[in-house]
Amino acid sequence: MKGNVIKYEMDNIDTDVIIPGQYLKIHDYAELATHAMEGLDSNFHSKVKEGDFILSGRNFGCGSSREHAPIALSHSGIKAVLALSFARIFYRNAVDGAFLLPIEIDENAYQNISEGDEIEIDVSSNEIKNLTKNETYKMKPFSEIIGKIISAGGIFKYKPD
Amino acid sequence: MGKTLFEKIWDAHVVVENESGPSLIYVDRHLVHEVTSPQAFDGLRMNNRTVRRPDLTIATMDHNVPTNDRSLPILDQTSAIQIQTLEKNCKDFGIQLFDMNSPNQGIVHVIGPQLGITLPGSTIVCGDSHTSTHGAFGALAFGIGTSDVEHVLASQTIWLEKPKSFEIRVEGKRKNPQAVTAKDIIMSIIKNIGTAGGTGTVVEYSGEGITDLSMEQRMTICNMSIEGGARAGLVAPDEKTFDYLRNREYTPKNYESLVEYWRENLKTDPDVKFDSDFTIKIDNIAPQVSWGTNPGMTCDVTESIPSPDDYSKGDQNQKKAANKALEYMDLKPGIPITEIKIDRVFIGSCTNARLEDLIDASKVIKGQKVSENVRAMVVPGSQMVKKKAEEIGIDKIFTNANFEWREAGCSMCLGMNPDILSPGERCASTSNRNFEGRQGVGGRTHLVSPVMAAAAALEGHFVDVRKLDLN
Repeated sequence: MKGNVIKYEMDNIDTDVIIPGQYLKIHDYAELATHAMEGLDSNFHSKVKEGDFILSGRNFGCGSSREHAPIALSHSGIKAVLALSFARIFYRNAVDGAFLLPIEIDENAYQNISEGDEIEIDVSSNEIKNLTKNETYKMKPFSEIIGKIISAGGIFKYKPD
Repeated sequence: MGKTLFEKIWDAHVVVENESGPSLIYVDRHLVHEVTSPQAFDGLRMNNRTVRRPDLTIATMDHNVPTNDRSLPILDQTSAIQIQTLEKNCKDFGIQLFDMNSPNQGIVHVIGPQLGITLPGSTIVCGDSHTSTHGAFGALAFGIGTSDVEHVLASQTIWLEKPKSFEIRVEGKRKNPQAVTAKDIIMSIIKNIGTAGGTGTVVEYSGEGITDLSMEQRMTICNMSIEGGARAGLVAPDEKTFDYLRNREYTPKNYESLVEYWRENLKTDPDVKFDSDFTIKIDNIAPQVSWGTNPGMTCDVTESIPSPDDYSKGDQNQKKAANKALEYMDLKPGIPITEIKIDRVFIGSCTNARLEDLIDASKVIKGQKVSENVRAMVVPGSQMVKKKAEEIGIDKIFTNANFEWREAGCSMCLGMNPDILSPGERCASTSNRNFEGRQGVGGRTHLVSPVMAAAAALEGHFVDVRKLDLN
């Protein structure tokens, strides 16, 4: 998985700014995506490209249980969110529908990856390669079950062993 | 070694247990509303599935219902469609719905307890993060996303990794419980543990500061567990809990035998060690006001807006967040909280729109008028709360003071219906989240208790309600 980074150097990005409440009535995912991150970054929709990653600080996705949040990001083209930590409901929603990979990173990766860097994520080796800076960082491995749910394509496609 | 209350409820609901990874947990009650359920029902249809236990599933409409005249059609087409969709889904799948015209309609977390649907020792889920509210009754209750809503509709179960246990002991007695409320206790807790302090845990609130509270006040505490990062908060049930649920519309017929069981079993054993703990002494806490853009950015009403350096204590992200918050809130360090002028007051939400909340607020405003610079509204948590308030005449206290008295719903807590702030408007709000844009694009939210909101409505700025006669 290879793509460019959109970096929000802050903690506590909440689901209300990821997809503001007034858009929770939209059922068309493509339309929902046009409002992704609107509460924080009005340029997000114009700058995001298919295959991009979001990089942020602690407690990403805190607040509401709206699954619209990972859906809006996913349908904007975001394949993974890399953060120092995640709020649990966001994390779970991202995995449940296999909308995007919620990847926990360390301070080293958080500090050294910059906006626009091209990175490659290798889930099998738990490594993030920064192709722009020629650096490699570790990511927190997914627990076995989460890895299986994600590769199956969500909880409804996953069949327990 | 003994078990915590949470572990006892967990053990009683495990269908498939896994040592590592998630276990399959049985769900006793599934509450459904219009916003997070449409795709879940679509998913059932696509896969030819039915609702496994429609009798354990209850729906209402709350998030985007209008709170003005209900005899008029809903102007916002997308809201109207979402409401009609829930009606159709409930009809198609045989689910009981409290619709806009039902006397039982209201915010899902207000109606569950008031109808006796929320029971001690049960597991409760809902596609809403404030499902933690029901934990006040000693239920394991937590919010889920739409995929999980579909999973629960189809199977009445949910896969869940066992959370860690976190005890928050609330010790001491408030000197002025009319002025320093449950809202101030939970906001003080979040201010201390932070917005991610409870991540991955189920909180059990204990101590004299909790057992002293009424059931409605305990709901305020558990409601905001999620703002401290915990998906669920619990209070061990006691006689107050059992009395509250007795003789409600859906209270089970064998209630007294259930109470005997609960009284005996639903408590944490004395020799238990929690995974983590935190103690707060509440003897001297002050009314709280949030100044920033997350619920952890909160201070005493007697304090001034902190400088980003003081607030962040050296953490760069926190400092940046504080600067950004102050810019968004249009505030500067050093401004006394009591000098912040407000434009709007919202008394409502699943945090603070129950009957006691409205009674407390009405005592502040009785015989007085809302400041001419302020627009103030009361949105009761349910139609039943509204009806009871009208029976005891407190609607008149509010309307005589120039408060708007509205129909039940989530309203201005999350800005999904027409009740929103205009850009730049500043609101004293009894809700639970002060995130940017939460109450409307560019709107500025200060979280406070109902009595603090009522006093701010009269004065046009925050006041220390401990100085008022609230009896």
